[in-house]
Amino acid sequence: MNAKRVDVEVIRAAVEQFLAKEGRLAFGFEEHNGSVRHRIQRTAARNLALFNPYFDLNGLLYLRRFFSKDARILAILRPCEIRAYVELTKLTQVERTSLIAVSVDCFGSVSSKEDLHFPLDPLALKSALEESGKLRYACTVCREPRGLVGDAGIRVDAEGKLWAQAFTPVGEEFLNLLHGTDEPAPDAFIVAEGRATDRFQTDMETFSRDFAKCIMCMNCRDVCPVCYCVDCVFQGDEYVPKGDAFINKVFRLGDTALPFGKEVFHFIRMYHVSQTCVGCGACEEACPQRIPLTKYMKGTSERLQKLFSYMSGRSFDEAIPYLTFLEDELKDAED
Amino acid sequence: MAEAEKKDGVEIVGFACSYCSFKASEMAGSLRLKYPEGVKVVQVPCSSRVDPAFVLKALFEGVDGVFVAGCHPGDCHFIKGNYYTRRKMAALKEMLNAFSMKEKLRLFWVSAAEARRFVEKVEKMYSQLKDARHERKEG
Repeated sequence: MNAKRVDVEVIRAAVEQFLAKEGRLAFGFEEHNGSVRHRIQRTAARNLALFNPYFDLNGLLYLRRFFSKDARILAILRPCEIRAYVELTKLTQVERTSLIAVSVDCFGSVSSKEDLHFPLDPLALKSALEESGKLRYACTVCREPRGLVGDAGIRVDAEGKLWAQAFTPVGEEFLNLLHGTDEPAPDAFIVAEGRATDRFQTDMETFSRDFAKCIMCMNCRDVCPVCYCVDCVFQGDEYVPKGDAFINKVFRLGDTALPFGKEVFHFIRMYHVSQTCVGCGACEEACPQRIPLTKYMKGTSERLQKLFSYMSGRSFDEAIPYLTFLEDELKDAED
Repeated sequence: MAEAEKKDGVEIVGFACSYCSFKASEMAGSLRLKYPEGVKVVQVPCSSRVDPAFVLKALFEGVDGVFVAGCHPGDCHFIKGNYYTRRKMAALKEMLNAFSMKEKLRLFWVSAAEARRFVEKVEKMYSQLKDARHERKEG
């Protein structure tokens, strides 16, 4: 496979060339005062950063329900964010024609709450992250940290050089903006495929212990990039009754742990995002009670995706398993 | 249900497709077949109308088991509804399995003519859940 040898300056020039036309935006990371955050740029690509070792949110949250057919956005993000984008295009929550999604090799990230600083040079960043020992749990069990998803990808080779590859015709458009010539890509890049994790198995006791602290703030739902329903089932009184409805329920059910409905909330959420969960760990990052949400969300979603040999965000063409079927399958589903 | 019965009786919520399984349950009634009182059948227009959220809500509000009953694959009134049900329920079972409570959910295929089969399936589920409940009490 051919790739283009690039560096940060070449990509910055390409972004600025992209922004020169009307109705264009660039979405990526910006380095500012020693921290790296998301930023949407309209005019110039100042302080563009390709790698972001500090995780706060999954950036696709900002692009959900973005349907403008006139505007075009060039998004240069982490693989987990681009995978969320791929899932959202399948759910028609984002218009595919308006985005160029470029994933960048990811070395993992630390929680943005930690007071840590990292160099942004790829090789130095990789070793600094490994030495820090503070990688988020979600990153240590990441299935796809490679820039191999979306329309185009930026990979890092053993010498720390950057290579840009296109995977779709839209990605070619991005590659054409980059200054440089096509060369044969190196055989190996420093970011390897994520290792397989053990099959997730637990019981209700462990679950109740882990979720005992839950205060039902629903932050995990609000920051989840793929939990997209406008009318969430938990908005009304049906699943989590309040006031009189709640008191009536207690009279009917007997003793009740509080907050009421936290088990069913997490179970329903676990099921609803099971095929689309990209395992980014944004829910755990947003949880004020430090509940190990990634363990459950990612654990169940991996099991359920395996059932249909599906992997969220791997390709634009795979249909989400719940939205399709085969006539001749699951013969043992009936009891 | 009487309070005493509630204590040792098992409660089951069933979602039955109105074109087949619910018809089968009605036919069971007209054939004077009996199934346990603790089984509450909810009529749904198609088994694919059952969002797994309904199942989870029922389970966490205290029922011992939930079954979803639909037409045999290929016989759906809406052509392909039960194929989606099959995928959704297989996935939900896998999820409940991860939490070691797989036995709480069943998926049945019952056509409108199979009243006896419906009663057999429901009774079998009921007795299994009852045994499990006694084991829990003793152990």
